[in-house]
Amino acid sequence: MFALSSCRLLLQALPKQSITPRATAQCIRSLTTSQQEPLKKDDMPIKMENPFKSPPKTCILCNITVDFKNVQLLSQFISPHTGRIYGRHITGLCGRKQKEVSKAVKKARSMGFMSVTLKDPQFIKDPDICGIKHFE
Amino acid sequence: MPRYELCVILKAMQRPETAAVLRRTVETLFERGAVVRSLENLGERRLPYKISKHDSRHTHGGYFSIDFHASPKIVSELLDHLERDIDVLRPTVLKKDIELSKAQCCGTQAEKAKTAASR
Repeated sequence: MFALSSCRLLLQALPKQSITPRATAQCIRSLTTSQQEPLKKDDMPIKMENPFKSPPKTCILCNITVDFKNVQLLSQFISPHTGRIYGRHITGLCGRKQKEVSKAVKKARSMGFMSVTLKDPQFIKDPDICGIKHFE
Repeated sequence: MPRYELCVILKAMQRPETAAVLRRTVETLFERGAVVRSLENLGERRLPYKISKHDSRHTHGGYFSIDFHASPKIVSELLDHLERDIDVLRPTVLKKDIELSKAQCCGTQAEKAKTAASR
């Protein structure tokens, strides 16, 4: 009994396979010192720009010049019932463009291009940019 | 010389009379030493609101835009002269600003803000 158990212990102590290590490619390279070819980094990540980058956030009037003569464009940012200019939280424009639109509307009104209290009837059917829901 | 834009609304008239008004307006500009760049017809339209000028109420008018270079001294004289003209309903002189480069628009601004914040 004791002999068997001691035998098992000895067997466990001894390595199961032969002592000579498995010859992998990397092992061979490490053994030989006269190698001069550069190490191939196959599994290193390739440097590239983030492919999942989202496009830069722009407002709808980005790169569009706002002119006081362009009454149709300006009419899209005023109320059809009262002719009032919509605020930034409704139009969704950036600070610079909101200011430009506001200034252009006021200029057009004083110069006789745009009405003050209403929206020109020919522009009422224009597509809705601001997405405001009027009480019907 | 700075660049100005004269946006003028004329009374709704027949073609030869409108031509005569524009002619004498441009001649006034030449007399005062302005260099007229262009003259554009923005069309004859219904006015957005009724304009009372020179003892009559107008509903239609011809819109014209004159682009010119002139000395700043003549602007007030020019406006005074146009106000006296019976056929002109609403004269406006604007200064033409140098347009901002498009590169400064929204998208690039947001990126600059991000990079500035990350630092």
